[in-house]
Amino acid sequence: MGAVTAVAALRAALAAEDAAVFGYGVAGAHLTGSRQDAAEQYWTTHNEARDALTAMITRLGAAPVAAQAFYLLPFRVHDTTTAMALAAYLEDGVTRAYLGLVAVSDPRLRDYGALAMQGSAGRAAFWRGGTQAFPGLQASP
Amino acid sequence: MLLATAGCRSSALFAGPDPLAGRPPLAPGVVTLAAVIAAEQNLISLYRTALAGRSPDGAGRPVLVALLGQHEQHLAQLKAMLVPPPATAQASPRPSPATSGHAGTTAPGTAAPGHVTIARLRAAEHASATRLVQRLATVEPALAQLFASIAASDATHVTALGG
Repeated sequence: MGAVTAVAALRAALAAEDAAVFGYGVAGAHLTGSRQDAAEQYWTTHNEARDALTAMITRLGAAPVAAQAFYLLPFRVHDTTTAMALAAYLEDGVTRAYLGLVAVSDPRLRDYGALAMQGSAGRAAFWRGGTQAFPGLQASP
Repeated sequence: MLLATAGCRSSALFAGPDPLAGRPPLAPGVVTLAAVIAAEQNLISLYRTALAGRSPDGAGRPVLVALLGQHEQHLAQLKAMLVPPPATAQASPRPSPATSGHAGTTAPGTAAPGHVTIARLRAAEHASATRLVQRLATVEPALAQLFASIAASDATHVTALGG
């Protein structure tokens, strides 16, 4: 397998963040109270991350890939349980994407990716109600 | 005979390490991995001590058991990345205060004296996550990803412990 380029890894992370922004919009509609508050807060977090990644890709002289208008969800979301499962699934995807950034040679990007992983793994644990041994390295349940 | 004719010494052909000079030093990534393994063993020791000081049906015990299980998974995966040469004097890395990154280090697998509080576990988890990220720049990509994943797990443990 060839070395992962910084631009490719950043684009993958951006794609995951775009999907999370879309997915939280779906999940949030089925949540109430503190869970809905959390979904809104995390939606804002993913928007900010998306902006940061877009700026990083642009600074490297590359073009960010635009978000899709629609994302195919892994399962039907129709209640609190499935909304929380979707949120955890989205965060797992974000964690896996940032794990890819950890593999690039630039140490600053490695650190950025690793710290972002801690954020998304924490959010996934919140939605899932439990922690994982290897966030980003194990498949979503 | 050709070598002698050309004025070459046979020893000049063998530019590798001197086999009589002893083993070459370990690669930096191996040293780092050994230190991380030792640190993980210390964390496990802390958890075991914490659990030993709690009643079997005590509050919070299931969380500690679950987190200990994840650290044991961390250790197994880290050890799988380290292949010691056969018939070495020390097949397993030993923790040391200079490399483990934790205060109050103990031999791997043994319980530390005294009571281990949740606050101490939380601090140890936070320190572990921080230290692993600091090591990312010095190791190869695959090992960096494993460190980052374990660091993310440790970070979630801080929250699980009430942080």
